[in-house]
Amino acid sequence: MTVVARTWQNLTLPGRIIFGLLVLGGLATLALAVLIVFSPQILSILQANLPIVRFVVAATLLLLLAPPTAFVIIYMEMKVIALMNLRLGPDRVGPFGSLLSTVHGLKVLMKEDFTPTGADAIVFTWAPVVVFLATVMGALVIPFAPGLFGQDMNIGLLYFFAVGGLTVVGLLMGGWSSFNKYSLLGGLRSAAAIISYEIPLTLSVVGLLILAGTMSVNQIVLNQAGWFTDWYVFQQPLGALIFLIAVTAEANRTPFDLTEADSEIVAGFATEYSGMRFGFFFFAEYINLFVVSAILVSLFFGGWNAPFPFPEIHLALDPASLGVLLLILVAVVPLIGTLALAAPFWIAKSSMPTWQALVIGFVLFNLVAAVAVFGWLFISFDFVAGLFWFLGKTYTFVFAFVWARGTLPRVRIDQLMGFAWKWLLPASLVNLFVTAAAVVVVGAGRGAP
Amino acid sequence: MSFLPGFLPGLGLVKGMATTLKRFFEPKATIRYPEVKPEGSPKFRGRLQLLYDEYGTLKCETCFQCAQACPIECIDMGGVDTRGRYHVHWGPPETYGERRDEQALRRSGRTVPDKVYEHFDGIDLTAVDAVLDEHDFDPKKLLPILEGVQDAYGYLPVAAIKHISFRTGAWYAFIYGAASYYRHLRFVPPGDAVGSAAFDSARPSERRYVDVLAAALSGQAASQRGRDIDDALAGPAQNKPRPKRGGDKVH
Repeated sequence: MTVVARTWQNLTLPGRIIFGLLVLGGLATLALAVLIVFSPQILSILQANLPIVRFVVAATLLLLLAPPTAFVIIYMEMKVIALMNLRLGPDRVGPFGSLLSTVHGLKVLMKEDFTPTGADAIVFTWAPVVVFLATVMGALVIPFAPGLFGQDMNIGLLYFFAVGGLTVVGLLMGGWSSFNKYSLLGGLRSAAAIISYEIPLTLSVVGLLILAGTMSVNQIVLNQAGWFTDWYVFQQPLGALIFLIAVTAEANRTPFDLTEADSEIVAGFATEYSGMRFGFFFFAEYINLFVVSAILVSLFFGGWNAPFPFPEIHLALDPASLGVLLLILVAVVPLIGTLALAAPFWIAKSSMPTWQALVIGFVLFNLVAAVAVFGWLFISFDFVAGLFWFLGKTYTFVFAFVWARGTLPRVRIDQLMGFAWKWLLPASLVNLFVTAAAVVVVGAGRGAP
Repeated sequence: MSFLPGFLPGLGLVKGMATTLKRFFEPKATIRYPEVKPEGSPKFRGRLQLLYDEYGTLKCETCFQCAQACPIECIDMGGVDTRGRYHVHWGPPETYGERRDEQALRRSGRTVPDKVYEHFDGIDLTAVDAVLDEHDFDPKKLLPILEGVQDAYGYLPVAAIKHISFRTGAWYAFIYGAASYYRHLRFVPPGDAVGSAAFDSARPSERRYVDVLAAALSGQAASQRGRDIDDALAGPAQNKPRPKRGGDKVH
């Protein structure tokens, strides 16, 4: 009890509020579950307000899933860049060092949360919240799998760009309120860069919108079903390229990471931040990387569509028909599988102790079982297959962004702005005109008159 | 990529990305240190350091093996051997005086009175030259040369060893090392060897043994080693207080 009391004493006011809200939310969820079980009226009320329920559930899930995603991508960045530098990278915490980013996240929670003298405390406190929420809200329109999306708005893409543009507000808030010239420089740089790149970014997808005839991201993904040649990247290669470049600048990634340019302006807008506030900036950056890759995949690379029409397989497998036999099977199969997979090793190598062979057999059986279960899910459920393809493509692009960070040097600010206004903007306009002309001449687009 | 024109925009990016991707799959240079120890030379012995044993005596026996093995001849030493009676040097002679300087001696942790050095010089070297001539100044016949010199002088004076080194071209340290290996070769006159049994030791048991030995030999060597032998004679019987060294407890 004293431990709990001491922890409560050590929490700051926002911490106490958030913790209280967490407990209240948990209790409310529990109460809701109990009510649904005991009175069906609640269920009908929920069904009547399905969009609201869907929004609440989706927002909660996204907020909960955001930090783990950030952990995965941070680990990926550390490891991939290390491997490209001929280093080993993190290899101490967890298998292959995979828990290091999680440990960093927890460490950030324990560090002192410091507000510098002269800072505008309220704005300073809210800046990371704005950045984090703007990033996570952008993920609301991303279709993860067939039927698995937060909201299918008919202005989904517009919403995405609008919310993505909010990030710059948070960065400016952080830069201005820190009372530090490096922070201010970082904030202003981010404002200049993001606003400049917002224009080619938005213009680059207009050609795609003419072809797709809709702004709903879900519908755009549905339009790309079939073979991989149906993906919009083959109809809009220039648009995809411009989108990729502009989105890199939008996400403050190398070679356009002048916002935080750690070697010139310390860490830009994040210079004065410490503890979990810095953590939120950090998380937001990596979640933004995921969101940006996801939207790139959804728009140009077919989203959750498989690259080829997957042959329909129907498994005539009904586990319920087995009855009691199923229980026996569940009890016996792991044992037999472990022994069967351990036996070859035990026989082949006489010096191997029995327990070692058994461990190998157990691990192998787990692998086989995991692959089998995944295969069954992949065949039986559309959303598992969709999630597989979507996450595969998205992480491929995350890898590409990390790869670019491991390779390319940072550009100068004048190069950054010149490239946006002199090259990307004209190129995106050319792309738009060519697409529009082609649609008028051929009449191929879905949105053609 | 060389067939592509160099001015193609973005070619540099592609080349750079290809390089990093190639590195991604190459073997890594990291050595996982606590598990994998770095491979050094098998004769590597770490940092050179003068060590003391538990009685406060220098463990270095001035054997010059390290100085001989040093490929760039950076190791240099001077001083007395562990029994406090022999003065050796390694390195160019013009720096000897420098290293006998009080500061240098204090830095090396030894007390080398110049008095010890005096009797090294001033012997007649014709006998050495005769022995050397007999053996054709050949350093490979070192043992016969040394034996001949010892026959002539009764022991191996430092000046004789220096002269052998000078005439044969063998390193002084080699000759000293070879001579110190053989039991029948001496660096001190035979008369001294008797008296030298009496020396001040920090080890109580050894001191007692030496006292007894000195008492037994006292008749022959009393005149040569005044203080030590007198002490030994006065010895344990009268319980004359000795100067105490550190770590010697009295109950």
